[in-house]
Amino acid sequence: MQTLLKCFLTARPKIIPFRLLAMMATLAFCLVANSNSATASLRQVIAQTQPKIVKIYGAGGFQGLEAYQSGMLISAEGHVLTVWSYVLDTDEILVVLDDGRKFKAKLMGADPRSELAVLKIEADDLAHFDLPAAVQAESGARVLAFSNLFGVATGDEPASVQHGHVAVKSQLEARRGVFDTTYKGAVYILDAMTNNPGAAGGALTNGEGQLLGMLGKELKNSLNNTWVNYAIPVDQITKTVDDIRTGKFVRQTADELEKKPEKALNLELLGMVLVPDVLERTPPFVDAVRADSPAAAAGLRADDLVLFVNDRLVQSCKAMISELEFIDRIDPVKITVIRDQDLVDVNLSAPAEKK
Amino acid sequence: MIQDQVRVTHRWNLITTLCALVAVCVASAASDRLHAQDLPRLEQQAMQAAVARVAPSIVRIETVGGLERIGKVLLGTGPTTGLIVSADGYIISSAFNFAQKPSSILVGLSDGTRTPAKLVATDHQRMLVLLKIHVEENLPVPEAVPENEMQVGQWSIAVGRTFEGGQPNMSAGIVSGLNRIWGKAIQTDAKVSPANYGGPLVDIRGRVLGVLVPLSPQATNDLAGVEWYDSGIGFAVPLAHINSVLPRLKEGTDLKPGILGVSFNGNDLYGKQPIIASCRPNSPAYKAGLKAGDRIAEIDGQVTDRQAQLRQAINRRYAGDTLKVVVMRDKERIERDIALVDQLEPFHRPFLGILPKRDTPADPAGVVVRFIYPESPAAKAGLLPGDRITSVDGKAVANLAALVESANAWDLDQPVKLEADRAGEKLTLEIKPVAEVSAVPGELPAVDPVTAPAGERPQVGRIDAKLPEFKNECIAYVPDSYNPQASYGLVVWLHPPGGTKEEELLARWKEACDKHRLILLAPRSADPAKWLPPEVDFIAKAIAQIRETYNIDAQRVVIVGYQGGGSLAFAVAFAHRDVVHGVAAIDAPILGKPPENEPVHRLAFFITTAKKANFADQIKGGIEGLKQMKYSVTTRDQGDAARQLNDEEFAELVRWIDSLDKI
Repeated sequence: MQTLLKCFLTARPKIIPFRLLAMMATLAFCLVANSNSATASLRQVIAQTQPKIVKIYGAGGFQGLEAYQSGMLISAEGHVLTVWSYVLDTDEILVVLDDGRKFKAKLMGADPRSELAVLKIEADDLAHFDLPAAVQAESGARVLAFSNLFGVATGDEPASVQHGHVAVKSQLEARRGVFDTTYKGAVYILDAMTNNPGAAGGALTNGEGQLLGMLGKELKNSLNNTWVNYAIPVDQITKTVDDIRTGKFVRQTADELEKKPEKALNLELLGMVLVPDVLERTPPFVDAVRADSPAAAAGLRADDLVLFVNDRLVQSCKAMISELEFIDRIDPVKITVIRDQDLVDVNLSAPAEKK
Repeated sequence: MIQDQVRVTHRWNLITTLCALVAVCVASAASDRLHAQDLPRLEQQAMQAAVARVAPSIVRIETVGGLERIGKVLLGTGPTTGLIVSADGYIISSAFNFAQKPSSILVGLSDGTRTPAKLVATDHQRMLVLLKIHVEENLPVPEAVPENEMQVGQWSIAVGRTFEGGQPNMSAGIVSGLNRIWGKAIQTDAKVSPANYGGPLVDIRGRVLGVLVPLSPQATNDLAGVEWYDSGIGFAVPLAHINSVLPRLKEGTDLKPGILGVSFNGNDLYGKQPIIASCRPNSPAYKAGLKAGDRIAEIDGQVTDRQAQLRQAINRRYAGDTLKVVVMRDKERIERDIALVDQLEPFHRPFLGILPKRDTPADPAGVVVRFIYPESPAAKAGLLPGDRITSVDGKAVANLAALVESANAWDLDQPVKLEADRAGEKLTLEIKPVAEVSAVPGELPAVDPVTAPAGERPQVGRIDAKLPEFKNECIAYVPDSYNPQASYGLVVWLHPPGGTKEEELLARWKEACDKHRLILLAPRSADPAKWLPPEVDFIAKAIAQIRETYNIDAQRVVIVGYQGGGSLAFAVAFAHRDVVHGVAAIDAPILGKPPENEPVHRLAFFITTAKKANFADQIKGGIEGLKQMKYSVTTRDQGDAARQLNDEEFAELVRWIDSLDKI
């Protein structure tokens, strides 16, 4: 390009209109600028997003509990979305903006079920995320996570940025007792170490800075003893956030979520006897089936190994018994057993209760 | 006019040229912009396509029943991942996923159907298992990346299928290294954890580089390497390799690490040439005629200048594999084809009945006899205390270390030819070694006393010691007469639950330390009520620190423990056998799996038994196990109730420590 331009200039010096020269110059500039535009746009995205992230300080600071977390601005007039946690369990919640301005925040409302809270600070014209404009991402999508992990940023220092990918879109629910959280909905599982102390409440965006979700708390997967990095998709929480902002939100406690029925099913009602529960994790083999019982009628036999109760994997006698506690005795139950290397499904119901 | 015409033409040409130029520039600018701005998006699309391509071959594995924890590691019960490796229903997965020995295995295919599976075979070398499911239709088999195409720095995506909903979960990274873990694995910085162990590591085209497994350069058990999960270092066994051993696994053959049966001196894997220190009797090396002193020069045509290269060449091979081994014996080149085995006959340490004098001057060279075991081969051959051994089998013996080194290579059936000097008179004796005895002599000649030197020396007496990175505290006792010219035995006392009072401890050990040239180290558990397995590390580091500061006789580093402390003593010794050479366990069952007895790293045991001990059966079982492995186990029966050692038993313990370097 440069060589070309040079030849041109020497060959026909007099007859180049100024406009053309200007055009050439612009063109040359464009080419140079372009080679770096991917990083430039990433820098821009980050620069535009960081002011939307806030540092939140509150209760804690003892017994290994951090007294800080992250949050994001969701309105120009100072609504802050963050996670519901002990940090907010105080009258003195402090929100520090990207430019170092400090505000005392008011807790507008919180929903322990979806583990979110909305704060309000008195300010105007703030850079913010627009929740209805939030987008979705598929597995493998490149993402940026903005948070004040480990409380490393203070004063007017901007939040930290991490990059990674959506490992998979999944549910946290899985099996009972797997995750120590009350949130049971969809999540983005991430392949970066995003969920650190202080990061909860931060923002997950795509490569263009569009909001995808809110970073969750530190969470261990009790199924395989690994830490899980996740974010809650915006569409899972938009309604709750709107309800809180408009004052329509009715608080629910976490306990209301999963109630055991008053009269639950049990092995006795079904006529099944499992092998003696002698190990920490005794496989739930059927030891005997009572004659004239629902189990006998359904064709269950001794030595069947129970694998699923209503399609939930039960890995031990204890798990089987506790799974039945969640099923009302008037409801039918599907039991899947393995017999001679074949999977066999049976449906059974407890006999009607005698009045 | 003509001028003008020309001019117009010129201008016209000029404009045409310019237009063409602009077009070229715009096009190149556009493609540049496309290139730069779309790169992240194109990469993302390529990754998603790669995962989509391999996804049909990735299965989800669930298990029922089995152990809850192995050692201190709580085992997950969550779903894990597997990879289809042949269309007729064979699936490879990580052995980690089966460490809990489940009673039933279920495989969930990519369409969600679940099928029972059987475990066909295990590759103990690379920690993989092969499963088989019954299939009606052919399963999709992924394409493997040839090993010679793999490059450090290329994209690598770790894929599992363990999250709710059954969609594959992915983590992107690059290939960080090849031929890791002694040539067995690809290393990646993608996040590798129980969430994808058993799943594939794929390239940007969705071809499989390898199968994700936890691996550790040191440990070899089912769970080794798990502590590195999601840490930026993960491993995958190349699929190309798996495919090469698939026929053997399909037959139900478990693959095990191959053993040659040679030991080397020292721990400097990278500095030292692989010169054989000893060949285990009846090992493949022994049967092939290799001898102590031979230098292994090549394995399968690969030059082995360092012990590490040899280890790399052998550790990737299986039992049953045949190696072409070249050794140099002086100038002679000897070539042998040697088939590796999975297990060696237990090693019986050869014993003549000599207790050597320590710290003798370098001149005259040789090893002075301190004590001769009654009834031993040396006694029968007429060797006497005070004799100075000068050569073995025709080779001069400069010092005790040289004698120990040559003793490691003796055979039980082969007489050893000793030359000795008795007050200027030269003796030649032929002595046939026997298996090491475990009885402790009733009396030993006193250790030569030393006096404190005039110059500088490290702190003596009762010392407080602390390692900066640990919470634990230690006390140590160094005899007042400590002289850095003399070597000292090191006794590490591991207290029982609740600790030991310092006064009692010093009252017990001070005199023995002064008289027998011992240094006492007493670490304390962080939680006074109990020792925790991770404290093994701390104890090892505390030992290392003492060894740095004082002149410690490497042959006589022992750990003495009561109850919980005794159990931990076993664990420390098993994990650090290059440092610890004796374990005295008082009223304590074995903790951990004993390593094989072997020539170079000596280890002896002193164990008390009592009829009504809490763990009487376990203690007895442990002793039996150690004896079967041909370890030297000295037992002391305490009668009915277990307790701390009485004076007589303690004196025996001290004599046992004083005789650990017997030959």
